[in-house]
Amino acid sequence: LSQFQELLAKVRVALEKRPAEAQSPRPAETVLPVSAAARRARLGSRFIQQVEAVSGRVVKATTEAAACAAIGSLCRERGVSRIAIGAAVSPDLSSALAGLAKGGSEQVACGPIREQDRASTREQAARCELGIAEAHYAIAATGTLAVIANASNPPSLSLLPPISVVIVKVDNIVDDLASALRLLKPEISNGAQLTLITGPSRTADIEKRIVLGVHGPKELLVILIWPEND
Amino acid sequence: MFNSERAADFFESSRLGASDAALRQKLESSSARHLEHVARAIDEFPAYDDERDRARKIKEDAIGRLDELLLELKRKLEARNCVVFFASDANEARKYIVDLARAKQVKLAVKGKSMTTEEIELNPALEKAGVEVVESDLGEYIVQLRRERPSHIITPAIHLSKEDVGELFKEKLGIAYTAEPEALTAVARDRLRDKFLSADLGIVGVNFAVAETGTLVLVENEGNQRMSIVLPETLVAIMGIEKVIPSLDDLSHFLEILARTGTGQSLTTYTNFINGPRQPGELDGPGEVHVVVLDNGRSRMLADPVLREALCCIRCGACLNVCPVYRRIGGHAYNSVYPGPIGSIVSPSLFGTNAAWQLPFASTLCGACKDVCPVKIDIPRILLHLRWKANQPEHQVQWPRAAHRARNGAALFAKMARHPWLMRFSARLGHVVLRPLARNGFIKWLPPPFNAWTKARDFPLPRRKPTPLDLDLGAKL
Repeated sequence: LSQFQELLAKVRVALEKRPAEAQSPRPAETVLPVSAAARRARLGSRFIQQVEAVSGRVVKATTEAAACAAIGSLCRERGVSRIAIGAAVSPDLSSALAGLAKGGSEQVACGPIREQDRASTREQAARCELGIAEAHYAIAATGTLAVIANASNPPSLSLLPPISVVIVKVDNIVDDLASALRLLKPEISNGAQLTLITGPSRTADIEKRIVLGVHGPKELLVILIWPEND
Repeated sequence: MFNSERAADFFESSRLGASDAALRQKLESSSARHLEHVARAIDEFPAYDDERDRARKIKEDAIGRLDELLLELKRKLEARNCVVFFASDANEARKYIVDLARAKQVKLAVKGKSMTTEEIELNPALEKAGVEVVESDLGEYIVQLRRERPSHIITPAIHLSKEDVGELFKEKLGIAYTAEPEALTAVARDRLRDKFLSADLGIVGVNFAVAETGTLVLVENEGNQRMSIVLPETLVAIMGIEKVIPSLDDLSHFLEILARTGTGQSLTTYTNFINGPRQPGELDGPGEVHVVVLDNGRSRMLADPVLREALCCIRCGACLNVCPVYRRIGGHAYNSVYPGPIGSIVSPSLFGTNAAWQLPFASTLCGACKDVCPVKIDIPRILLHLRWKANQPEHQVQWPRAAHRARNGAALFAKMARHPWLMRFSARLGHVVLRPLARNGFIKWLPPPFNAWTKARDFPLPRRKPTPLDLDLGAKL
C-alpha cells in the first residue's frame, strides 16, 4: 500500500490540489409523448437498418415458433449440425429448438456448471457451429446488442461459434448508447459482465480492408421478437 | 520495441522512412481510405462536436482530481475481488506480471492489443521466464511474426501490404502463398483459436476505468480481447493512471467519439465491460483478475501545466492518420512505441531518452492533429513547449552533425534576413551566381555543404530584387 500512497502523493504534488470546477448540468431533453406502437415502429426500423449497416441480419419473429423456424431454416442453409444454446433462452423456444435437434442437429445446453465440468463444456461449445444467446437491450442508433453474461447466458455462445444468433425483444430497444447505459447502470453497479455487440467480428488490419469473422462470429443473425398486436 | 540502445536517430530514421516509396504508398492509400470512413461517420452524427467538448471537459476534470479517482477506483475494484497493483515504472509492472505468471505456472499467455504492454516491453520479459506469449489482434500477430514493433497505435501492420503478409504467412506458417485478406484472416483465426482455448493467462489493456463502479471498459473489433478476457483462468489488465473516468454516465460521451475518429465506426464491434472475476456456476470469465495501474512518467506529465493536457488523450490514433510527417515516414521512424504527433508528446516524458526528446521536432506544426483530435488537445502548442524544454540544460537533446549544419544554415539566413541591405545584396549576388544552375526558377543541385538542402528539395533561385514580402519577413525575424 505504501507504494500506492507514494503515487497518490506524487499526483497530489503535481496537481497542487486545486478544487475541481463545478460540472455544468446536462441540458434537458425534450420528450414528446408518442404511442407505444409508434415508438416500437420507429426504434425497430432504425435498429434493423443499423444492424444491416454493420453487416448483420435481422429477422422479425411474431412468435417464438416463428423465431424457431427462422433459426431452423438458417441451420439447413448453412448445414449446421451442432447448436449451443443458453439456458436463459425462453423455455418455449428451447423446446421448439429441441424439435430441430430431432431433425439431425445436436444441441449443447449451456447453463450453470460445476467447476470440474468447465473444460468439457467449453470444448463442446467451441465445436458448435451456431450459438444462441439473449440480449437484454438493443440500441437503435448504432444497431448494438447489450448482452449481460451470466451462468445461463455465457459469453461463449456469442463468441466461439462462427454463426451467432442473438434474441432480443422489440420493447427492449432504446434510442442511443447513453439511454442504454442509464438503464444498465443498476446491473453494472451490481457487477454484471456486459458486452455491447455491434455486428459480427471484423478486422481491417490488412490494408484497411474489412474482413468479417476474424476471431468471433462471421455471421450475426438477430431475432427480433415483435408481437403482432401493433 | 523501444530501447535506448537500438533507438536510432530521428534525423537518420526519418530520412530512411521518407525515401521508402513503397511504404509511402501504403501509408497514403490506408490513410485516405481511413479518412473517408471517419468523415462519413462524423457526418452521420450531428452531436459529434458537442460530445467532443463534453468528453474533453470530463477528462480534464478527471485529470484534475486524479488522486481521488484512483483511490475510489482501487476501492471499487477491490470490492469486486480484483487485485490492484500500482507500478511506478515499467520495471515494476513487468516484474509483477512475470512473478504472477511464474506463481500460476503459466505456459501460454494470449494478449489483446495493448500499447501499454508494448510500452513496458512485457513480451520479452515473459518469454525469458519461459512463457509463450501470443499476440491475438491480427495486426499485432503479423508484426509479432515479423519480430517487429507496431507502426501505428490502431493499425499495427499499416506498413505492410497484403502481399507482404502473404509472404510472411507462407514463410512462418507454412501455408501456400495467397494475398487475399479473407484467406489470410481465416488462417490467423484458425491458428489463434487453439491458443485461446489452451491459454492460462490473458493480458489486455484498458480504454476506460470507471471509478464509480470499478468497471474496466475495452473496445475492439475482432473479438480477440473478449476471448482473452473470458477464456483464460487468470486475467491481467494493464492501464495508465490517466485512464480513469469518474462515472458510468461519463462513459457514453467517450464511446460516441472514440470509434468515430479512430476507425470511422459508430461503435466498435465489441465494447467489453470487466466487472471482476466470474461468479460460481459460470462457464466463462477469469477466476482471478489483476489490474496493474501504471505511472511510468505520467505523474511527471501531470506536474507540467502544459503537458498535462496530453493526459486527456484517448489513443484513437487520428492524429497519426492526418499528420503529413507520419504519412511520409511511417511509425517506425519515430523510434518509439508511440509514434506520430501524440507519440512525439508522450515519448519524452515516458522514456526520457535522447531519441524521444528529438521527437517534438518531428512536426511541421501544421495543426491538422489539433483539428482532428476528438478531445481537442492543442498538440502544436505542447510540441512547442517540449522543444523549449528539450533545449534546457537538464535535457540538452543531442543531434547528429548533419542536423547541426541545417540548423546553422537556418541561423545564417535568420541573421541575414534581419538586415534589409544584406538581404538585398545577397539576393542579388545569389541570383547572379546561381542563375546558370537554375531551371524554371529552381535549382536541383548545389555543391557541398549546400547539397544538404538540394538532396531533399529544390532550392529556389533568389530574386534579383527581393519583394517587400521578403523584407517584411526579415523585419519580423
